[in-house]
Amino acid sequence: MDATVKRLVKEVKKDGDQDAFRELVDLYKDKVYQIAYRMVGNAYEAQDMAQEAFLRAYANIESYDENRKFSTWLFRITTNLCIDRLRKKKPDYSLDAEIPGAEGLDGYSQLSSPDKLPDEQVVTMEMQEWVQEGILKLPPKYRTAIVLRYIEDLSIQEISDILELPENTVKTHVHRGREALRKHLGNT
Amino acid sequence: MALNEREEEYIQRYIDGDMDESEKEKFHTYIKENPECAHRLQELKRTVTIVQGTSHVWAPETFTDSIMKELPKKRKRKAWKSWSRQHPVLVAVSMFIVLMASSVLFAWNDQSGAEMTVTGDRENVNIDYDNKAVIIPEDETVQGDLTVRNGEVDVHGNVNGDLTVINGEPYMASAGSVSGNIEEVDQVLEWIWYHTKRISQEAWHMDDDEAA
Repeated sequence: MDATVKRLVKEVKKDGDQDAFRELVDLYKDKVYQIAYRMVGNAYEAQDMAQEAFLRAYANIESYDENRKFSTWLFRITTNLCIDRLRKKKPDYSLDAEIPGAEGLDGYSQLSSPDKLPDEQVVTMEMQEWVQEGILKLPPKYRTAIVLRYIEDLSIQEISDILELPENTVKTHVHRGREALRKHLGNT
Repeated sequence: MALNEREEEYIQRYIDGDMDESEKEKFHTYIKENPECAHRLQELKRTVTIVQGTSHVWAPETFTDSIMKELPKKRKRKAWKSWSRQHPVLVAVSMFIVLMASSVLFAWNDQSGAEMTVTGDRENVNIDYDNKAVIIPEDETVQGDLTVRNGEVDVHGNVNGDLTVINGEPYMASAGSVSGNIEEVDQVLEWIWYHTKRISQEAWHMDDDEAA
């Protein structure tokens, strides 16, 4: 996987190879979209953010340091875009909000069916709702840490690379986020 | 159920897996004696499990395509471009063939069915445009090469050079003579061959000129 990504990035860097870039998009689109979805909280904006992240990656591929992980760089672009968006907008979109252009389709239908998870990890629809609600209540910096740590399953070190924060700061953000989510669960 | 800061910190470190074996042991012992701490640990662990267990969301099916549409067009790699970069000689040769063939064919189409044309020494020949014929009278001599297109040539006199008849026919009277070659061109292929010969001859002569 890493070798493939390296090769694809080289081709994009060399002459803007769009076929290679398409492969990179296919490899990372779900992760990038998921980060965006958990950060901004609705499918419409998530798609907007995720697309913007890829377009910026393509336009700025020259600035990517090939000695570092491509995903780290790509996720940094994504989280920065999302944090900027969160700062600019006032109210949160609700998961119940209908997605423009898709009647009857709301945020829940964007969630995959639970049969993709092992049985013991199945979380009910109510729980899904609760998690999304809880995450969206977190301040952006804790939200980012929680999404990267528990939804994307990244290590503290990787998150510290992505956010360009010291590992201890990332840990503190994870702790605070975890604590806030625990309280949120207790209230349900 | 307020825990002190130290307890909270320990619980967080425990969940993060940041404790060594001896610390863990102490922590386990401590937990057994402090049900509030144990309860908090359980709650936090459950929270993590639930967040981790959240269903994944997937990018919409059209995601990749809509990104590809947004990419700047000019950087698009053309397969042809990279191929041609690798085979410059083949490209040059095929370009040459295409251009040659088209110019020769164009010239052929241009002259077939068109008016008769005579190039060379025209002063000593009778040109009959109506019947599309060129007659070189018995006692006349054409100096240099004579080329006739779209017409017949009756040679009664002399031609001091090559006689070329394109899309027509040369007739030699017994008294007539041509000091050079008589060439008759009336097929497309012959026409191409004629041109190729002419071009190569010209090239040859140019070499001679340069050498001289």
